[in-house]
Amino acid sequence: MFSKFYAWLDSRLRLKPVEKTLLDEPIPGGASWIYVFGSATLFVFLLQAITGMFLAVYYAPTPDHAYDSIQFIERDVLFGAFVRGLHHWGASAMVVAIGLHMLQTFLYGAYKPPREVMWMIGVMLFLLVMAFAFTGYLLPWDQTAYWATQVGVNMAGTIPFVGDFLVKVLRGGESLGALTLSRFFAVHVLFLPSLLIGLIALHLFVLRRVGPAGPWTDRRASLGSETFYPRQVYMDAVVMLGVFLVLSALAIAVPFPLTDKANPADTSFVPVPEWYFLFYYELLKYVHGPLEPLATWVLPLLVILIMLFWPFIDRNPARNPIRRPVALASGFVFLSVVFALLGISISHLYAVPRADPSIARGKALYAEFGCAGCHRVHGEGGAVGPDLSYIADARPEREWHVKHFRDPQSVSPGSFMPKFPLTEQQLNDLTSYMLSLKRPG
Amino acid sequence: MVDESGVQGGFSTPVGTRRSFFAWVTRMAAAVIGVGLAVPLGGYLISPALTRRERPWIDVGGVDGLIAGQPKQLDHVMAVRDGWAESKSHKAVWAVKQPGGEVTVYSPICTHLGCGYRWDEEKRTFQCPCHGSVYDLEGKVLEGPAPRPLDKLPSKIENGRLLVIYKEFKSGVKSPVEL
Repeated sequence: MFSKFYAWLDSRLRLKPVEKTLLDEPIPGGASWIYVFGSATLFVFLLQAITGMFLAVYYAPTPDHAYDSIQFIERDVLFGAFVRGLHHWGASAMVVAIGLHMLQTFLYGAYKPPREVMWMIGVMLFLLVMAFAFTGYLLPWDQTAYWATQVGVNMAGTIPFVGDFLVKVLRGGESLGALTLSRFFAVHVLFLPSLLIGLIALHLFVLRRVGPAGPWTDRRASLGSETFYPRQVYMDAVVMLGVFLVLSALAIAVPFPLTDKANPADTSFVPVPEWYFLFYYELLKYVHGPLEPLATWVLPLLVILIMLFWPFIDRNPARNPIRRPVALASGFVFLSVVFALLGISISHLYAVPRADPSIARGKALYAEFGCAGCHRVHGEGGAVGPDLSYIADARPEREWHVKHFRDPQSVSPGSFMPKFPLTEQQLNDLTSYMLSLKRPG
Repeated sequence: MVDESGVQGGFSTPVGTRRSFFAWVTRMAAAVIGVGLAVPLGGYLISPALTRRERPWIDVGGVDGLIAGQPKQLDHVMAVRDGWAESKSHKAVWAVKQPGGEVTVYSPICTHLGCGYRWDEEKRTFQCPCHGSVYDLEGKVLEGPAPRPLDKLPSKIENGRLLVIYKEFKSGVKSPVEL
């Protein structure tokens, strides 16, 4: 049926030569699992584009409604949390995929002549992906989004002469508000995608003009080429499926709840950027005073320029990593610094006591079971049972609480607290909440 | 073209069962991704069509003010949830107290094409100004193009207050179809 239709179409549109050009592209040295990262990046981009379009179906880009509309997607729309989860984790996957793709290109020296243009377009694509990440982060309009964007935008303010003006342009005025949200939305869903699609097309056009680089050793390359279809296509497809399954699992298993609705008056909120901006966030902690602009814009600009013009900076014609000690060493040092900063930042984040989700669940159970009917926490609730405001200081042992909730009389004879029918999970959550009730410091 | 050793135009390419295996895996991967996306995205898109609005009982006023056989339009404000937006909507229903004390409540919308009708005290009929449909006190059609009697709304009296579930019905059809 399909082949008949294809033959009919082919007899009119002469598709066979197109098919041949697309599928019989020669892969020097044969298909390889190391060449899958470009396709994987393209796949994640398509996934982001599709899930993004669907999110836009219910999203409203105004400060009054953005938060509610995302909450509506999360709670009321069928598969809404899944679609949003895919888009959220897809953003991280995009950064990972493009990072691996660039690393492979770098290791294989595939940016060297005649592929300098392809590398430069690739760097621009990378910057666009970062711009996507930054603009998309504001859209849910929750506290994290608001304050992280506030910090990000203010960094542009340290650029001399034009800084203040640039900040106003980014924000669309004096403060982060309605105009900021609508322009970030427009940039995220209209401007950036158009640019990105154009550059992807150019990137692929150049690829087809110059061909893939293939192995770095002449000996392996001399093995001859293999057609793109079917083996490389099969490898790409398997990796795409893997990426899709991992993202789906993350979207289902690791929900990404909103924080509170953005509140410009609440300055106590400490924003934390997404992990792919963390290394930079950490860097800014070490640079103070007159040197700050160095970190906020001189260094990033320098790194971007070096990346962009790398094919002209590294003029060593060899592609084999062994014969490129300087390039490899600089790449290694750069990545070490980035990952060291990322590592330090993550360890710091985990050192800070952060809200444990089980505490919030425990608190909800506390309300659900009407514990406040007898117990008081910070002045709220009845005075029949003991005051629980600082119960964790009096009873710091987890086991005691678990035992107590199972059967209050077993650890506290004479207690008239009833046994509540609690599941293991509920027992643990309620205990976590009890253990969080302690004096500060 | 492709010879025995799988060399095509100077490039090697897998042939035979090896080739069809790669093609099969590729197709399967595409199918799994396609279905894995199509099902949730389809559900996501049609989701609003599947959920019915919850209709609460709304207090439209006391029954003491109603006189038997004398229709009265009762205004009320109800909160309407429209996706993520919530708005207040002004609605009015027609209440007719029966001699026995029970109250019949009519949707304020003409069953013909959805205009609002009014009560003519002199002729003791409900009249629709748009296309001249006329109903009697029981909601039966006396004249005009209306295809069915006035739509009755579920109602009850609690503690002297009249409670109503506001509904809208498809206009222009023989039997009432809730929207």
